[in-house]
Amino acid sequence: MRIETDKEEKILQGETDNQTIDFRSGNEMSAIAAAQINYHIMGYYPITPSTEVAEYLDEMSANGEHEVVLIPGDGEHGAAGICYGATTAGGRVFNATSAQGLLYSMEQLPVQSGTRYPMVLNVVCRTISGPLNIRGDHSDIMMALNTGWIILLAKDPQAVYDMNIMALKIAEHNEIRLPVIVAYDGFFTSHQKRRIRYFSDKGVVHEFLGKIRIQNCSVDVNNPITIGPYMNDPDLINNKKQQSMAMEAAYKIIPQIYKDYADLSGRRYSMVERYMTEDAEAVLFILNSAADTAREVVEKLRKRGEKVGVVYPTVIRPFPANEIREAVRNAKAVLVADRQDSFGGWGGNMTIEVKAALKDDPQNHSLILSRIYGLGGKDFYAEDAELMFELALDAARNGRVEVPYDYIGVTPGDPSFTFEKVRAPITEKESSPGIIKVSRDEKTGKVEAKGIRQAELTAMPRRIAPGHGACPGCGIFPNVGTFLKGIEGYVVMLWHTGCGMVVTTGYPNTSFNITYIHNLFQNGAATLSGVVEMYKERQRRGEIPKDQDITFVMVTGDGGLDIGLGPALGTAFRNHHMIILEYDNEGYMNTGNQLSFSTPLGHATSTSNIGKVGKGKRFHHKDSAQLFAACHIPYVFTAVESQYKDLIRKAAKAQWYAKHEGLVFGKVLSACPLNWRHPDNLGQEVVQAAVDCNFFPLYEVEHGITTINYDPEEKNKKIPATGWFKLMGKTKHLLKPEFKDIVDEFEREVERRWRRLKAMHEHPLL
Amino acid sequence: MITNELKLPVVNESGFYEIRMESIGGLGANLAGKVLAEAGVLNMGFNGSNFSSYGSEKKGSHVRAFVRFCAPDIEVRVNSPVTEPHLLAIFHENLAKSAPVTQGVKADSIVILNTSKNPDEARDFLKLYAGTLYCINAMKIAVEEKTRVNTALLGAICRASGFLDPAALKDMIAKNLGKKYASLIEPNLKTFDRGYHEIVSKHFKPDGKYPYIPFTRNGQKIGYFNQPLGGVIPNAGSSINKDLSASREGWIPVLDRNKCTSCGECDITCPDYCFVWEDGVDKKGKPTRILEKIVYKSCKGCLRCVEICKFDALTSHKEFEVDKTIIEKGYTE
Repeated sequence: MRIETDKEEKILQGETDNQTIDFRSGNEMSAIAAAQINYHIMGYYPITPSTEVAEYLDEMSANGEHEVVLIPGDGEHGAAGICYGATTAGGRVFNATSAQGLLYSMEQLPVQSGTRYPMVLNVVCRTISGPLNIRGDHSDIMMALNTGWIILLAKDPQAVYDMNIMALKIAEHNEIRLPVIVAYDGFFTSHQKRRIRYFSDKGVVHEFLGKIRIQNCSVDVNNPITIGPYMNDPDLINNKKQQSMAMEAAYKIIPQIYKDYADLSGRRYSMVERYMTEDAEAVLFILNSAADTAREVVEKLRKRGEKVGVVYPTVIRPFPANEIREAVRNAKAVLVADRQDSFGGWGGNMTIEVKAALKDDPQNHSLILSRIYGLGGKDFYAEDAELMFELALDAARNGRVEVPYDYIGVTPGDPSFTFEKVRAPITEKESSPGIIKVSRDEKTGKVEAKGIRQAELTAMPRRIAPGHGACPGCGIFPNVGTFLKGIEGYVVMLWHTGCGMVVTTGYPNTSFNITYIHNLFQNGAATLSGVVEMYKERQRRGEIPKDQDITFVMVTGDGGLDIGLGPALGTAFRNHHMIILEYDNEGYMNTGNQLSFSTPLGHATSTSNIGKVGKGKRFHHKDSAQLFAACHIPYVFTAVESQYKDLIRKAAKAQWYAKHEGLVFGKVLSACPLNWRHPDNLGQEVVQAAVDCNFFPLYEVEHGITTINYDPEEKNKKIPATGWFKLMGKTKHLLKPEFKDIVDEFEREVERRWRRLKAMHEHPLL
Repeated sequence: MITNELKLPVVNESGFYEIRMESIGGLGANLAGKVLAEAGVLNMGFNGSNFSSYGSEKKGSHVRAFVRFCAPDIEVRVNSPVTEPHLLAIFHENLAKSAPVTQGVKADSIVILNTSKNPDEARDFLKLYAGTLYCINAMKIAVEEKTRVNTALLGAICRASGFLDPAALKDMIAKNLGKKYASLIEPNLKTFDRGYHEIVSKHFKPDGKYPYIPFTRNGQKIGYFNQPLGGVIPNAGSSINKDLSASREGWIPVLDRNKCTSCGECDITCPDYCFVWEDGVDKKGKPTRILEKIVYKSCKGCLRCVEICKFDALTSHKEFEVDKTIIEKGYTE
């Protein structure tokens, strides 16, 4: 039995009536805590592995289980802005993010703390790019050490719940008033289900937290204030001193809040947890989920007579230096295990901070070893912990540290290994079969592409190889593959983060037969702009043959055009010679089907659930083709794979425009059998139905002149929206009578946009 | 509901009974692990944990799910994957071709394989060191009951485990399907029962026929001495060598070259670029492109090509009924 308090034991035996025993993951516990607190607003942007928090909250919201208003940002930076604004307006605010999401929002974090608006952010720790990796380490959270936020750590799903409740109490404490991060390990904690307990009655939580005390409210008309002034050097340093004073206050108050919570819940936390450290000669300092594994190993080694112990903090801002000094005072050696590196700092951030803390204790003579482990979510096994203890024990026995700083769990590699080439580079000649003829009509100024014969075009070498890991029936690859049949010669591609990118380039394999670049989906268009301009400049300088020609194609999902819209528009304004191809599958499918701005009204996603209250997505779909048309770039088109000749024709035109005039934007509707929930074989039928109900009109805009390429009304193919909706699981609910208003509203908007497009088609000036 | 007496048949050094499921995304191993763990913890009263291996993979790629059970008063402190399972369930036999699924299987382990093979054939197929091997044709059951293989495998796991309570599992299956998919409860319970009853088992002693496969983490050939800087991949198009046949869920397209007109539409719709073309001549002797074959290694069985084919040259078939030579050749005539 490892039960720590009597109360805990009673709870375990089900003798308490105020807590429910359940089996839940860390993300579920974060969502349950947020729902019980009933935050006013959650501004969020989906990123693995934190996304589930918003998903669970949305699911509960759809069933009327809480009132938290969930606002999807245009990216994490936008989400942080939503949160900031909401906190100034006097309510309780919540958010969850990971890795790049934390970094992308980071500019906002010191604003939140420096202007002293409390809120709670869950950081579900994940590796920072690049190369891209979605699994758990601490490279993200350590970036937040200097943001002025309090940082609590939760090592398991139970702690995620407990810390989330205490976090808000700490944040709102009158002497603190700082935003608080609760950090827990991506996947290890976020997705692992454990037996947990939570208060059966959310009233207990409300009573513990008390009422919010609003300060500096932006919507109090009787008390006009200025939030966020310009502040020069006489004053700014004093604002920072106040933040430091708030951290000092937090350092004193956090233990008291921990104690109050223990009295209520039976679960006791300390700022620094110690496990068998009293007589330990070798101590392992380690964070979060790995600390549990380390405790398991301590018991094993203790049985062998080794004096080892574990220290793990539950808070790292404010840094519990006194408690750490106390915990390791008698240790001969301390190994600090960091799940990230401060490259060139000779240790991860915890190494550096633990060393600094111990320096202040003249009594302390512990030897310190630093080991980097578990990066990119590399699993932490008991053997790894055992190795760490052995290293610390060696140092303790020998009285010196052989290797102060190193990585464990790395692989040197087999020197005889070489990457085998599977094919020769695609030549310009073989990729220029000359089947399609592109020419410009000098009278109309329009470009035309002729000779699209799909059987002959099978001679076009595939720029993307088989063997990618997309779902069966995925629409991305028919779309992009067919598009590329219309592009002759050398191609360099950049793909935004998304399904298409992750399934093609799982290291050490790639599906690209041509050169491919990935950049994070805030920034792909800007990145490819840089590539294009460097290529041209090197051609101008004679470093690359002037007659060589590469077609640059950027591929993005609709998600990449939400978060990455700004840089994409910037690319349009600068009119670089390249193509942006958007595969729109109406959602963030790579992270598990969250709504995007392209998701149509009423459609169900994992963040627009259907339930007692939930009615699917609440606002209309974004029209990215019209956005780019408004940038007055030379060529804009829409296409679908079911009308593949039209798609190939537009690809060939796109290449002509990118070569001769500048930026091309193309949007293809891309079926997602997994999340649209239709049979794997029916992708083409489903996207064609979207065209035939006028939701996704096929048209092109050349030099501002709009041409509709296919008019379902003229062809007698026009179907009602329900004719499309009935084909997909995500829209089945819309066929029910109670959703008629939403369908009507959807059709009104689709009709309005279609009529407008028709007018543009008829009038060259529009 | 708390059912049965709480007793695990065997536990490891840390007090756990450990289960590993080797599967393909889309077959429902993640959900099976969840149902199994919830049934054990919430319905039977064990303590435990459950998680799956995650990566960037999509439906159709290798996924592993893990369940640990222990006595109710033991704290779960292990987060790492199960390396020496007491019970291993393999959701798709083709996985054994591409992944070391039997790592850590010992003489007293239980192994469940979704297969049409008998236990002797299955042992040879898996090159199984030892253990009690249970064969269950979950794919057939799922196709017949219009459900997924995971529920049939849950039935098999329940029976093979010797300690899991079928009532506890069935209750949790029903709860997970809930109101949202109420119509699926009955076929799933039937699928569970069939999995429970239709398993065929045989015990194999460590007779030296196949060696023990230990768990290993150190198989990487590319390390910090030879990984190209910055994570660049220098061998373009290398994914072509991957075998994705385990992604298929029972159905494949078959190409009949006698009916094929080489119109090229299948090549447009195929997400996996499975069609191989060659230069040839048409009936009038004019040079043209001819569809040669399907590369089944790359085919995930989505059947988009069958949907688009106007000439019945591509038709869908249950994979286990298709002559193996057709899959090797890539066509029939």
